[in-house]
Amino acid sequence: FSPFPLSSPLPRPLSQPPALSAFILHNSSLQHHSPHSNSASVFQINPKEGCKVDVVFSTERYKPESLLQEGEGRLGKCSARVVFKNQKPRPAINVTCTRLIEKKKRQQEDYLLYKQMKQLKNPLEIVSIPDNHGHIDPYLRPIWDLAFLGSSYVMWEMTTQVSHYYLAQLTSVRQWKTNDDTIDFDYTVLLHELSTQEIIPCHIHLVWYPGKPLKVKYHCQELQTPEEASGTEEGSAVPTELSNF
Amino acid sequence: MRWTLFIGALIGSSICDREKFFGDQVFRINVRNGDEISKLSQLVNSNNLKLDVWKSLSTFNRPVDVLVPSVSLQAVKSFLRSQGLEYAVAIEDLQIYHEMDNIAADFPDLVRRVKIGHSFENRPMYVLKFSTGEGARRPAMWLNAGIHSREWISQATAIWTARKIVSDYQRDPAITSILEKMDIFLLPVANPDGYVYTQTQNRLWRKTRSLNPGSSCVGADPNRNWNASFAGKGASDNPCSEVYHGPHANSEVEVKSVVDFIQKHGNFKCFVDLHSYSQLLMYPYGYSAKKAPDAKELDKVARRAAKALASVSGTEYQVGPTCTTVYPASGSSIDWAYDNGIKFAFTFELRDTGTYGFLLPANQIIPTAEETWLGLKTIMEHVRDNLY
Repeated sequence: FSPFPLSSPLPRPLSQPPALSAFILHNSSLQHHSPHSNSASVFQINPKEGCKVDVVFSTERYKPESLLQEGEGRLGKCSARVVFKNQKPRPAINVTCTRLIEKKKRQQEDYLLYKQMKQLKNPLEIVSIPDNHGHIDPYLRPIWDLAFLGSSYVMWEMTTQVSHYYLAQLTSVRQWKTNDDTIDFDYTVLLHELSTQEIIPCHIHLVWYPGKPLKVKYHCQELQTPEEASGTEEGSAVPTELSNF
Repeated sequence: MRWTLFIGALIGSSICDREKFFGDQVFRINVRNGDEISKLSQLVNSNNLKLDVWKSLSTFNRPVDVLVPSVSLQAVKSFLRSQGLEYAVAIEDLQIYHEMDNIAADFPDLVRRVKIGHSFENRPMYVLKFSTGEGARRPAMWLNAGIHSREWISQATAIWTARKIVSDYQRDPAITSILEKMDIFLLPVANPDGYVYTQTQNRLWRKTRSLNPGSSCVGADPNRNWNASFAGKGASDNPCSEVYHGPHANSEVEVKSVVDFIQKHGNFKCFVDLHSYSQLLMYPYGYSAKKAPDAKELDKVARRAAKALASVSGTEYQVGPTCTTVYPASGSSIDWAYDNGIKFAFTFELRDTGTYGFLLPANQIIPTAEETWLGLKTIMEHVRDNLY
């Protein structure tokens, strides 16, 4: 949302970008739910401090319907408060969710994903997920899931009151073996920023082992203009503790 | 289901033995002597290139039109160059233009394909005019699509809608009565150069492909180029920006063609612009937070339309004026339309809300088009009943 003088009508934020919602769902384990539909958002603006957004959204399992077992709920419900401070990136997030899958199940699914990733041919040499027609090969789905997770950290790091990001496409992938058993995953994504409509390439390197915190390093390109020197945004993200899961 | 198969099914069986791809091109090849004819025959007859001769050899110095599938483009170009055969690329993005032609041919009493201008790279700009009546300048509605080339669900929804109109006319009382009262003009590809570019070079290209003197960056944002608070908030004067407004209003020939046509016609009552993504249904203004004089009525209509849309698959749209619903945007099409007397001006941001974004999977095309149709009909019915 854009900063408006107080005398004009308050801008209504968009449904909370999936990136933020996705990050909200992460703790130390992998997401098993993707943000589904977003419901009402209420907000308060205190120009001195920044901006608070209260978000309610539902989540859905990534697992295809056919694999869901009897009684396994599809939708969870989350409510979160997101606090932006003076347009600085990395908002603070406080979230509560209900009806998510239990920890043991989550760990099992994490390990399954880990095994799937380990079994993939190396080097992966994959270009474009989804492809230009929006298609994701089921075989490539685990790669997408992991890439999305890393990307959501990056997007959270970059999100401000005026910059909202979405993952447009994963454009190249490399996975390296490491001496220990971690998944070492190096890839490039294209992020779509909503208010400028720019497409931003980011190079992301993540290291993951089920149950351990994700380590993410990234390098995003600034808008290239012939008139200005090109700049880059770099950083590494280590997830902060999320409360109330 | 792939986009390619979907479009193939839509289009029917004209040249459809093989799967059709976006990005096919027609090469117009000049043959000047017998030697060149035999070289060309060699090319055309090679099995693996899957070429289709559209207009065949009759005499020398007459061009031959050959349909080249996108997968064979490089091979064919190399061959032609190495053999010294002169060629030019005649038509691109055939599928939608071909389908428009088919629709007009199938329903000649209802539809005509009209050329309203051309793009920067000299591609034709075609609209479909749906009209049941004679008489100059019946009240009309403009349905705009594909102005931002990467928003592929927009062009796809537009062409599906064209088919829907012709198949439902005289079967569905709503569209029948709408067409009795007004004409519909549908522009499925408002930015043909950009569209081809997304198929051949860069899937996420948004702007036109006009050249900017003094800059290496190409194109202007055609939805910041209209004469409505041109170069105001929410647009950029940097040619490298995705929201570059262009050197002046209507500098983009694609925009100018529409403006000229609508102004010459003089009796448009409704203008709808299809975009993606975000699931929003918006009305003026984008260039300012000021309230449009008809905001109350437009809001009511938009909410009714969003409700009708949601009734199909539960897809939720947010409704409101552009500036406060998404962001400030000056020089936009619907703001221009509204400030030029076209009261019922709306923008749809179609599916989804960011999961796939621009890369919406093919299996969502028909559901999107079907639900959008109900929204459009709600708007059209209101216009029909409130002509001014």
